[in-house]
Amino acid sequence: MSSLRETLARIAGMFTGRRADDDLRAEMQAHLDMETDEFIRRGMAPAEARRKAMIASGGLTQAAEAVHDQRGLPWLESLAADLRYALRALRRSPAFTTIVVITLALGIGANTAIFSVVRAVLLKPLPHRDGDRLVYLRHSIEGATGDHLLFSVPEVRDFRTGAPSLGGIAEYSPWWGTLQGDDDAIRIDLGLVTGNFFDVMGLSPVIGRLTNAADDGAGVPPVMVLTHGLWISRFGGDSTIVGKQVRLSGKSVTVIGVLQPAPYFPDRVDAFTNMVVSPHHVSAFMVQNRVHRMTEMIARLAPGATLAQARNEVTTVAARARADNKDSYNPASHYQVAVVPFKEALGEGARLTLWLLMAAAAFVLVISAANVANLTLMRGVNREHELVVRAALGAGAGRLRRLLLAENLVLTIMGAVLGTLIASGGVRLLIAFTERYSARAGEIRLDGTVLGFTFAVSVALALLLSVLASLPREGSFASWISAGVRRMSGGLRKQRLQRGLVIAQVAVSVVLLAGAGLLTRTMIQLSQVSTGLRTEEVLTLPVQLMDPGKVDPKHLLEADAANKVNYDLMRREIAALPGVVSVGLGSTMPLRTSMMSFDVAAEGRPQAAGEASPHVDLRTADPEYFRSAGIPVLKGRDFSTTDEMSAGHIVIVNQTLADKLFPGEDPVGKRVALTGEGLKFTPFSSDWRTIVGVVGDTRDGGLDADPRAALFFPFSQELAVTGGLVIRADSNVAALASTATRIVRRIVPGVPVEHVLTVAQIKDQSVAPRRLNAELISLFGMLAVIIAAVGIAGVLAFSVSARTNEIGIRMSLGAGRGQVEWMILKEGGVLLAAGLAVGLMGAYFAGGIMRGLLFGVPPHDPATFISVGVMMAAIGIAACWFPAIRAARVDPAITMRAQ
Amino acid sequence: MADKLDVKQGTLALMVLRTLDMLGPLHGYGIARRIEETSKNRLTLNYGTLYPALLKLEQEGFIKAEWGLSDNNRRAKFYALTAAGRKQLAREAKEWNKTADLIAAFLAPKRGTS
Repeated sequence: MSSLRETLARIAGMFTGRRADDDLRAEMQAHLDMETDEFIRRGMAPAEARRKAMIASGGLTQAAEAVHDQRGLPWLESLAADLRYALRALRRSPAFTTIVVITLALGIGANTAIFSVVRAVLLKPLPHRDGDRLVYLRHSIEGATGDHLLFSVPEVRDFRTGAPSLGGIAEYSPWWGTLQGDDDAIRIDLGLVTGNFFDVMGLSPVIGRLTNAADDGAGVPPVMVLTHGLWISRFGGDSTIVGKQVRLSGKSVTVIGVLQPAPYFPDRVDAFTNMVVSPHHVSAFMVQNRVHRMTEMIARLAPGATLAQARNEVTTVAARARADNKDSYNPASHYQVAVVPFKEALGEGARLTLWLLMAAAAFVLVISAANVANLTLMRGVNREHELVVRAALGAGAGRLRRLLLAENLVLTIMGAVLGTLIASGGVRLLIAFTERYSARAGEIRLDGTVLGFTFAVSVALALLLSVLASLPREGSFASWISAGVRRMSGGLRKQRLQRGLVIAQVAVSVVLLAGAGLLTRTMIQLSQVSTGLRTEEVLTLPVQLMDPGKVDPKHLLEADAANKVNYDLMRREIAALPGVVSVGLGSTMPLRTSMMSFDVAAEGRPQAAGEASPHVDLRTADPEYFRSAGIPVLKGRDFSTTDEMSAGHIVIVNQTLADKLFPGEDPVGKRVALTGEGLKFTPFSSDWRTIVGVVGDTRDGGLDADPRAALFFPFSQELAVTGGLVIRADSNVAALASTATRIVRRIVPGVPVEHVLTVAQIKDQSVAPRRLNAELISLFGMLAVIIAAVGIAGVLAFSVSARTNEIGIRMSLGAGRGQVEWMILKEGGVLLAAGLAVGLMGAYFAGGIMRGLLFGVPPHDPATFISVGVMMAAIGIAACWFPAIRAARVDPAITMRAQ
Repeated sequence: MADKLDVKQGTLALMVLRTLDMLGPLHGYGIARRIEETSKNRLTLNYGTLYPALLKLEQEGFIKAEWGLSDNNRRAKFYALTAAGRKQLAREAKEWNKTADLIAAFLAPKRGTS
């Protein structure tokens, strides 16, 4: 306790400075005077008395020093002195300081920026209360399709009763609706949730309340919880929103609260409502049918329960359910329920990409640190004279080491400050980048933890650099001084270290370049994938006329007939626009996945036991659809206007489905039917339908996914659950977007029109994330190569200057310029070759790790590796050339005279 | 000279506190003289020992310092015991007595066990 007090007093003492010194001097003077008086009183002569008193004092200066040490914190003061000295020394070599600070800033800045993303997306605790206890249940079927399923209400019930380690199970059903404003309408993504959802998730409201058990069931008023994002963007953060009514898909819904900012999961969502908002979700159908799967499950582990327990129980419950309900689970489909920690599930899409970027940034830092180490080593050699002089003046090796550390600290901290500035400039860009991968992108910021990371990295770097700059051992100074050493050449150990660093730089650059090359090739391959459409002059304009919340099931057919009239009106008006070649109607836009997916059966082909029935995307098309989209009809015929409702059921299949159902046969004329339990909840029949044509595949699941099996019904024959227009123009179709949108808005005011995109734009969206990956890694790669090139050139230049004498002697003995150049080039070439070899090995491993990010390029793509090797070699040789030329310019006469 | 002792920091602090307790506020010279006299000149205190010790006691809050006039009208800094210092003195003295007893018992000339 008193030591704390003493420390505080000492800290205060550091600032009293001169006044305290004066005070002490006066006090000791008084002491001396009194002692002198005493000696005089005892009979001494004044001068003698004074001398005796001085002797008794034991030295005033020493005493003042001792008191001074007691007053403040001596170590801190000497550190401050060291730092002041370091700043002075660095100001004397501005070129060195600038290069080092910029190099470090690039390395540290890249790491700070990427770490801020990794922390926000992967490391930071969730905003959810005890978020580590949350688990996500993923239902999937294995096999060729390997689809992700949701859960049915009876299945959720199985887990509620059978898995006590899941303390609370929240249900979430993805849905959508139209939010009417005063003069516009937007489509919003909804999460239909059970009353316990927010309680299980551990989330709190910003204002108002969240749902609770009273909001469950059929006969309750519909309520809505806004996400923080929608509250700000749509309602301007209106704090009086609670209790107000909003129009959601024609229904009046009460806003009860605003949720705290939280990452959305599993889907992007704008608002949450209770289940009653969708009559279907509270119907007996939904609640009782085991295969009607529309619900996601997130659970909270019960107190004391472990993840392993939960996994065991969930597996047991799921297996029992399958055994008890044999007709609901086709054994060939291999149903599986995985229990994934919520945080992991949230970070899934981003993990590989982010760690890759973090590794790349770390590599850049390694290279810049190596460069700085080399620069420091060289400077160290030039400073040996200075150090010897300091040692001669009495500085011990420890003191010198501390001085170097202070200097390196100043350098790395300056680099860190500049690097943090660079990173803070890049944060906005990074958020935009990360949004594609993670719901937590909004949490990215340069906060205390990130800055702490940056600071720790800088201090570690400074320590490393100080260790590398090898000082002579304590005691050996004396021999230097007595030998009158003026300057020593870099010792062998030092040169070996420098060479090692250059090899490491080259190797790391090669790894980064190879990664960049693989990702760039991936991007190129992807953008060259054929969409399946023969033209890009196609505009897609999805218009959702049937609003699931709005339509009374009893009047479904009337509503659909009215919608079809409107669709036809839009089609005809847009087709009349100048430049438009044709306009087609269909349920789903080309290159987009259908929301409807079913099992399908082929006539006369009984399913083999244990074989899963093929899955198809159900889409509809009118006679103009394929022509407008540029999808070729490969066999049979297109739909025609004569295929009326009465004309009998006909379908068109795509190539993938034709190959799957009728391998090696002509599918035209054969019959197929939708099948499976899920069918009975839909307006589609299981009637047999005759195939009239086969169309080409399109990349509906993204350019990097295999084409999906698709079955097209005639647009006019089926209920238009979804819909949209496909517009083909002879040129510049993008220019039509606004006119076409206006026409649609006029015909159906109040219906949201979003995602009006040309095929080229859709394609670009599919490539964009990979392009960003490739660009970022390429940027790091370039940075690394430049730094490494500077590193090679620097080390060789230093070697040349250290060997000037030798070169001079060689030349005076008859060596030609070419020979000298070759000698230096060879020195660099050896380093380069070693670096290349190590780097290519590293790239081989890195490629394997990156496998998941690649498309159309093998992870050990020889073409990429060879071109990276050649490129690095070329840059490296160019970097060696400058010092080599300088070496050849050595004038033997001058060198010899200087000796 | 051979029987002069070096003074240890801890014991010096105790001596200073005790001196101030007995004599009241006193300047550095007075403290030094008193300690030397009490030790029958077996201890000498140079400034480099005395003044850091005084500063430390002041920093710990056991004594406080104030400028004043000495008997022969010299300006000098006077140190006085604080309440905390008095308490510390009692505590330290007790500790010291205990330790001294203990050491004395160890170093006592051999006698028959009682």
